Amino acid sequence: MLHIEGLTAGYSAIPVLNGISIKVEHGQFVAIVGPNGAGKTTLFKTISGIVRPSAGTITFEGADLLSVHPARRPHLGIAHVPEGRQVFPSLTVMENLEMGAMTEAGHRDWKRNIERIFEWLPVLAERRDQFAGTLSGGQQQMLAIGRGLASSPKLLMLDEPSMGLAPTVADFIFERLIEIRRQSKLTILLVEQRVAEALESADHGYVLEAGRVALEGNNETLRADDRVRKAYLGM
Amino acid sequence: MTAALEGFLQALTAGLLIGAVYGLMCVGLGLIFGVMRVINFAQGDFMMLGMYAAFYFFTALGVQATFGNTFGPFVAILLAGPVLAVFGYAIHLVLISRVSGTRTTSLEGEGHYAQLILTLGIALILQNGGLIVFGSVLASIRTPLSSSAWELGPLLNDISVFVNKARGIDAVVSLVTMILLTLLITRSRLGKSLRAAADNPTAATYMGIDVDRAHRVAFALGTGITAIAGGLLATNYPFHPFVGVEYVIVMYAGVVLGGMGSIIGAFWGGMTIGLVQQMSTLVLPTQLQNAAIFVVFLLIIFFRPQGFFGRMVERT
Repeated sequence: MLHIEGLTAGYSAIPVLNGISIKVEHGQFVAIVGPNGAGKTTLFKTISGIVRPSAGTITFEGADLLSVHPARRPHLGIAHVPEGRQVFPSLTVMENLEMGAMTEAGHRDWKRNIERIFEWLPVLAERRDQFAGTLSGGQQQMLAIGRGLASSPKLLMLDEPSMGLAPTVADFIFERLIEIRRQSKLTILLVEQRVAEALESADHGYVLEAGRVALEGNNETLRADDRVRKAYLGM
Repeated sequence: MTAALEGFLQALTAGLLIGAVYGLMCVGLGLIFGVMRVINFAQGDFMMLGMYAAFYFFTALGVQATFGNTFGPFVAILLAGPVLAVFGYAIHLVLISRVSGTRTTSLEGEGHYAQLILTLGIALILQNGGLIVFGSVLASIRTPLSSSAWELGPLLNDISVFVNKARGIDAVVSLVTMILLTLLITRSRLGKSLRAAADNPTAATYMGIDVDRAHRVAFALGTGITAIAGGLLATNYPFHPFVGVEYVIVMYAGVVLGGMGSIIGAFWGGMTIGLVQQMSTLVLPTQLQNAAIFVVFLLIIFFRPQGFFGRMVERT
């Protein structure tokens, strides 16, 4: 579905990503883990078109994604739930969800999507008329996820959904994500610092270090790997 | 006593009527500055162009011949709106887009310094270009309605209030335009996407919103709205190429008074300024009208810094 080949990108002359190759197949749950500054968020921004790569290719469902205008990419079926949530603070919860449905597919499936989103994340239904800027961090994260789902995505990209949240809240959001995936069969690409949880639920994982793929494999291989156990799982 | 009451009611009426037009004028800037957060010091000069566009539609392009002297001016004014909206769209495409929208993330101070300098430059070019093209002679869009009035009353104690017919129609047109725009911004998908693009350009791009196009549409709408307000003012006040300078400060005061980001707020901000301006003539010499406006402005902002309709919402 999403094929990234030899991707090099960054903000100035020094690349943050250094020849990265990543594959996400239809229906897969892929996790990318790694320390701060490894280039995880930059990778997502490059897929969404906010950062331009200097080398490499990205194809989505066989089409060259790099030649597509950033604002057109969500319409192809890529939903980006960004790091730090980035909800629209002066719009209400409902209006935020409507913004997710700006894509053609999201507009078409709005009724069905909003029912499912409210079922999965009931707190959004309770707070539908509240300004998003007044929500708590966990609620904003749920809104950001709901907003992503409202676009009827083929691929849901989640950038550190646990960031800045209390561990219990982060656990709850993880549990919701697994439930959403179980019911919707969505293809998910997740970036996470909570390595244990991320690898546990993913089909396939990549370890990113200093802009390179240091390691990849299915979840058993990765969790059995000595380096991963020492560096990330604390075993 | 009766005379004082009559003077008060007359000033109040005049204030409400002129306030509605000021309100519309502020709504135009409210969209560009309040909602989209783009500083535009050429807004007064866009208004000046709107006045001249209406003037030439009326006198030279056949509106007078087709619709007559009485209602022709209003047709010409409503035609000037879309023309100036197209002008605003083009100016944004060529110049403003370089310092707003998705470009602001890479500019100092969210692009505000660059916007300030750029739009001041545009203002100077329009003012002096206007002087070359239109000349320095005062122009006006007069209708016979400008010098006739409806008499309300006699009310209690045989007091009558006179409503200038042209100003009455101006106020109604302003109100209707403002309400239509408010509905567009608060209810429609387009309006919501404009607000989202202003709130967080990057996240709006993740939603599939073309942020630069959203900014351009808002800029065009704001320019068109202010142009209509300018045309309405011109049915009662003569104008010249430098008329924008007199009004641009009033517009900013109105937007801030009403609360940043609120269209209805901008309207009430303009209304307040119109009321203060007219009512102050009851107790102060006419020359102090503008001083009175800003004393009241400072007082209101002192007690309510976020403006009438401003929200204390954190923006990311």
